[in-house]
Amino acid sequence: FLLAFPSITLIRTVRFLPLFHVLISVKGPWIPVSLFLVYKIKTQMDEEIDTRKINNSFLRDHNYATEADIISTVEFNSTGELLATGDKGGRVVVFQREQESKNQPHRRGEYNVYSTFQSHEPEFDYLKSLEIEEKINKIRWLPQQNAAYFLLSTNDKTVKLWKVSERDKRPEGYNLKDEEGRIRDPTTITALRVPVLQPMDLMVEATPRRVFSNAHTYHINSISVNSDYETYMSTDDLRINLWNLEITNRSFNIVDIKPANMEMLTEVITAAEFQPSQCNTFVYSSSKGSIRLCDMRASALCDNHSKLFEEPEDPSNRSFFSEIISSISDVKFSHSGRYLMTRDYLTVKVWDLNMESKPLETYQVHDYLRSKLCSLYENDCIFDKFECVWNGSDSVIMTGSYNNFFRMFDRNTKRDVTLEASRENSKPRAILKPRKVCVGGKRRKDEISVDSLDFSKKILHSAWHPSENIIAVAATNNLYIFQDKVN
Amino acid sequence: MEFKVEAHRIMSISLGKIYNSRVQRGGIKLHKNLLVSLVLRSARQVYLSDYYGGICLSAQQAREWCEGEYMASKQGKLVPGSTESLSESDEQSEVAVDKQEPRDVVESPAGLHVETQASGEQDSAENGVSDSGCSDIKTPEESPEATQTCEVASVVTAISSNCISAPSPSDPKEETETPTDCQTDNSESAEKHSYEPKAPQAYTNRKRTADDSELTDSPTKRTKLTSTSLPSTNDENKGETEEMDTSNVSSLITIFGSSFSGLLSNKEGEQPDSEAEDSDSGQICCDQMLKNLNPWSTAIVAF
Repeated sequence: FLLAFPSITLIRTVRFLPLFHVLISVKGPWIPVSLFLVYKIKTQMDEEIDTRKINNSFLRDHNYATEADIISTVEFNSTGELLATGDKGGRVVVFQREQESKNQPHRRGEYNVYSTFQSHEPEFDYLKSLEIEEKINKIRWLPQQNAAYFLLSTNDKTVKLWKVSERDKRPEGYNLKDEEGRIRDPTTITALRVPVLQPMDLMVEATPRRVFSNAHTYHINSISVNSDYETYMSTDDLRINLWNLEITNRSFNIVDIKPANMEMLTEVITAAEFQPSQCNTFVYSSSKGSIRLCDMRASALCDNHSKLFEEPEDPSNRSFFSEIISSISDVKFSHSGRYLMTRDYLTVKVWDLNMESKPLETYQVHDYLRSKLCSLYENDCIFDKFECVWNGSDSVIMTGSYNNFFRMFDRNTKRDVTLEASRENSKPRAILKPRKVCVGGKRRKDEISVDSLDFSKKILHSAWHPSENIIAVAATNNLYIFQDKVN
Repeated sequence: MEFKVEAHRIMSISLGKIYNSRVQRGGIKLHKNLLVSLVLRSARQVYLSDYYGGICLSAQQAREWCEGEYMASKQGKLVPGSTESLSESDEQSEVAVDKQEPRDVVESPAGLHVETQASGEQDSAENGVSDSGCSDIKTPEESPEATQTCEVASVVTAISSNCISAPSPSDPKEETETPTDCQTDNSESAEKHSYEPKAPQAYTNRKRTADDSELTDSPTKRTKLTSTSLPSTNDENKGETEEMDTSNVSSLITIFGSSFSGLLSNKEGEQPDSEAEDSDSGQICCDQMLKNLNPWSTAIVAF
């Protein structure tokens, strides 16, 4: 798949192809999920391959995906009106929810492509002889302050602030140039007129407004916008930098865990996030399974944590891979700001900010993989970084797994469900069945055994609408959007 | 033992991953390489500790060991106080020490190592890791039974083995019994090692943190290791590791080149450097281990 990087800059057309629109509901009153929509972002290359494969009688629903189309991040904006996805090819696709219309009540606010742009290009650091991937690691929306939308997108080294705005009028009637833009001969101008704004076809344009670069030696893994809406932080493996959204040539380092001697390195930062209501508080997680809460008022350099959230390791589960599976892949504050959720390889944990010694709740995502850690290490799956999300009311948490499964846990009822994001299981008006993985012994019908799981189909990224029960789940190069049943 | 085979396999896989990371697009990923190096370290300790944990020596091996040519480079590390700071086995060794107080070996592992080749219990005590594909955790009482089987290891040619037979915790002179026991138990060809995870497999599972390890390591290392015995120990250790690794991963080693020089060769020059850096002699092997297993960190430093 290694295209020579100059060729990646060739323009590829991206076509939005809605594949499905079905009504599905899930049994069980506590998480009604329905209205299954699939968007597959295809390139021209993809379509050629599809044709070829169909002609050769390959599997119709092939899993082949161009590497560049693999979705690497999904994020709703603060109102839920927009949904942004970033992919490995450095592109950002923004979906907008259409207004509900009385004519079609069952199509309750579908998401349609709003804008597509190339956010990052592959770069080459000549000084270090390193290629910088264009893969979008994270997208974060800024709160909306005017008609335009702003988002931050980042790859391994550079953060960019993009402005996504609509244009539906254009000025016409210039004096010095004609309609095509050619300069008019001044001697032909006999009268002056005032240009007038005329309506035009709606055009959505994305422009880069700020580029924040050259601040990170290591790979950026997360960005987080502060609640003061003036600053944001970018986090790499060893350092966290604080930026002002307006200033690109300066950033402040607020956390630095790089040891004096790199050979003494024992842990790296894996994720960081600002507290949603306190602009001075943030947390960062480490590869050792600990979370540190820092207060920026305490000192300029927050190397000393205010709180350390760490659970002692269970000695009965020691193995070669204990360190890997305890490494935290994602940390998210609840909307209330009172709780923290962390994801490591096998579990999701909810922490109370007031209790550092152990998590409030621990949920097993796929504990049946514990006996397979060696194989998962060989095929690199053990390094997969799953994300986790809260629902709007902080009562349900969701995270992904393998075989295109994703799991939801209701914190109140302690019930959980496993669902699958797959086109095969979706028919019009079908009911999305909860799936079950059979751990051992007799496998019941409809259950899937651990050995049959497809580890190439993983759901790493997902997002939950800030107020409604709408979820967006990224399965390789497909984006699935699930919605509440209308009834 | 199957966990030795498993450990070896994991080591090879880990080395392969580290190698591949150098040619991956996007540069070296620090986090992944750190995790891989941790796994490599654990596997390595398990792998090497096998040699000393109640391993039966072949006659040839005993000869080779007596010649002092081959000593597991891990030997020094396996000895309490020489393990890496990140290793849980350090803490385990401490616990093993506590449990096996009567043993002289525990008290002066370095001296023991140099003189008698024993300290298998130390090494085996460091097998704090267990995996689905690895052996079960054994108690000191159970290990004698396991001691009887002999394992064929194509790689290991010579080990300063701990052919300590049925553990008698109160026997301070086990090491002297070792050669005899090993020879009688050994049924392998001269080329191959027969060894056994030795008795004192007092596994303790304690939370591994670098901080804990470093804190606990230093005092134990100071009391246990003597500076005079250390250099020779390290040399011997290196030799063994070199032999073992070379035959296993020679291709990878040549590819890695200088990055793994510490891992492979008897770099005696490194010894004085480490010693100079670290006043605590017990830290030397630990440092070397870290250096050996973090060749990519130099690349990161060059960032």
